[in-house]
Amino acid sequence: MRILTKTSLYYLLVSVIVFLLGGLSFYKIMQVEIYDEVDDQLFTDKENILEYIRQNNELPSVTSGISEAILVKEVTVASPTLEALSDTLIFSAYDEEFLPFRKLTFTTYQDGKPYQYTILKSLMDFDDLSESTMLAMGWIFLLLLFGLVTVNYIINRFAWANFYDTLAKVKGYSLSRFQPLHLRSSNTREFQELNEVLLAMTDKIHGDYLNLKEFTENASHEIQTPLAIVSSKLELFMQSENLTPQQATMLEEMYSSVNRLGRLNKSLILLTRIENREFSEREQLPLHELLKEQLEQLHEIMEMHDLELLPPKLEAVYLTMNRGLAEVLVSNLLLNAIRHNQPAGTIEVRLSQEQLCISNTGSALEGTPEELFRRFMSSKDQAGSLGIGLALVSKICTVYRLQPSYTYTDGLHRLCIKFQKNRA
Amino acid sequence: MKVLIIEDEQALNASIVTYLQQGSYTCDSALNFREARQKVMNQPYDCVLVDLTLPDGNGLDIVRLLKANDPETGIIIISAKDALDDKVAGLELGADDYLTKPFHLSELNARLKSVLRRRNFNGQKVLQAGSLEVYPESAEAMVDGQKLTLTKKEYDLLLYFISNKNRVLTKESIAEHLWGDHIEGLDSLDFVYTHIKNLRRKLVEAGGEDPIQTVYGMGYKFSS
Repeated sequence: MRILTKTSLYYLLVSVIVFLLGGLSFYKIMQVEIYDEVDDQLFTDKENILEYIRQNNELPSVTSGISEAILVKEVTVASPTLEALSDTLIFSAYDEEFLPFRKLTFTTYQDGKPYQYTILKSLMDFDDLSESTMLAMGWIFLLLLFGLVTVNYIINRFAWANFYDTLAKVKGYSLSRFQPLHLRSSNTREFQELNEVLLAMTDKIHGDYLNLKEFTENASHEIQTPLAIVSSKLELFMQSENLTPQQATMLEEMYSSVNRLGRLNKSLILLTRIENREFSEREQLPLHELLKEQLEQLHEIMEMHDLELLPPKLEAVYLTMNRGLAEVLVSNLLLNAIRHNQPAGTIEVRLSQEQLCISNTGSALEGTPEELFRRFMSSKDQAGSLGIGLALVSKICTVYRLQPSYTYTDGLHRLCIKFQKNRA
Repeated sequence: MKVLIIEDEQALNASIVTYLQQGSYTCDSALNFREARQKVMNQPYDCVLVDLTLPDGNGLDIVRLLKANDPETGIIIISAKDALDDKVAGLELGADDYLTKPFHLSELNARLKSVLRRRNFNGQKVLQAGSLEVYPESAEAMVDGQKLTLTKKEYDLLLYFISNKNRVLTKESIAEHLWGDHIEGLDSLDFVYTHIKNLRRKLVEAGGEDPIQTVYGMGYKFSS
């Protein structure tokens, strides 16, 4: 939810409460005032009638109208009502509804005879008043709503424009292809501060990133030579006569570790170089032929693992890629299918115009599919695996905008690479 | 056989020289570009191993120089850069082979022999070890004149052994030689064992002796 929407909603909520309470109290106050006024009028009428009787010793003529009525009744039983004030409803034949009236009843004497007077005053005005109050409140509320929307639009358009601009630029910011952030300067102090902080931060992060990258690259390259020296000296050492079995075992363990380190380092260098997009040379690559070659090369390894390669279905597909990277991609996918298979399992390769899918049997994954493409994510029983193959696959996919996906159903791992606009 | 090793790391240079000298090579080493250039200009070599990253120059220039002046010389590039494109550039310039550091000395030795064989310097068309004869041109092997039926991998293995006669070969280097770089986690060492067992059986059945010794804890050794 946008911040403006959010503040507007809060504002509206408070407005609704204020308007409800305000309308209610306005109504109540008006009601009290009107009752006061009507009652005053009733009592004035009463005084006038009593005065008239006292002066003229006869009953005043009785009038009756819409807003007012005075009724006189001879009362036989001497149970005089001194004075009674009440609300009443009277059916109006004209309006065909009950109308509210205020009623004052009192008893007076003329020539010793008791007469009961009832003065009625219409409260219609008051009903109208409450209605118009509600209507006015409603209109004011609508106007307020309209004003709010307008103000929000203006604020959004002008005051927050810089903020949204900054946000969009930060969203599109990528460390690896660094272009300094160009943020519009703002005359809103908070936004200006935000921009300055962001600029300082990205500069710092980028600096750190470059340092780290440079370090990693240098380290990987520099490590290769000492590794080569250690490896070669160990190999020479192994040629010496009279090694005890214990020494021989130790030497072999050292040698194999050094080799492993060397391979790991090579893969990391390759990964870094792909990240740096150093493989700019591209060609129209026949992926189906590449697959055929690789399958042939891996044929023996599959056989040794007692795996069955189902007849591959390969359509002729051409991609614009670097040949070396395409080889790395394909061989890592195939090796992955071999490595994580089960005895007497199967491997299936399908290449269509849309995608390359490699499925293999095997037990379910321990982690999530997302983890699969991260480096050093090898399962426990694959001690010899470096866990870097699929990281390479994922990197290459990023470079060429291919979409790797993974599913596991009915004991079948299925890794697919979807081709996009890259298609030739 | 004269081989020049151009490698700026003294220790690595020495290792290569030591390993190769146990064979029948005369080794010369150069530790920088200037020295390498001089040596290459002064005398012919049968093969030159050249490191691409030298402190005072690019090894590729040595390759160019050799191609221009001494096209008969075999060239093997050794580099710390595992570069798909460097490799291509090197091979396009006319290098015979390309190895990335770190490498197995036995692998380097086998590659060197193969380059020399292909360049056919001493007209050696047959490799001999006792009663065993290997013909690299036709990829055939015979024991006492009787042809062995070997699979491709068994033949590769045999050639690798003969190239590194009397040296201890580790299971890793054999596995990498046979199946390449990306075999980790694939039980390749067990398969090495299977292949060696089959090769031994075929050699013995053909009436030869078993020339492959198991070296405890380390690997195998082909003795003749």
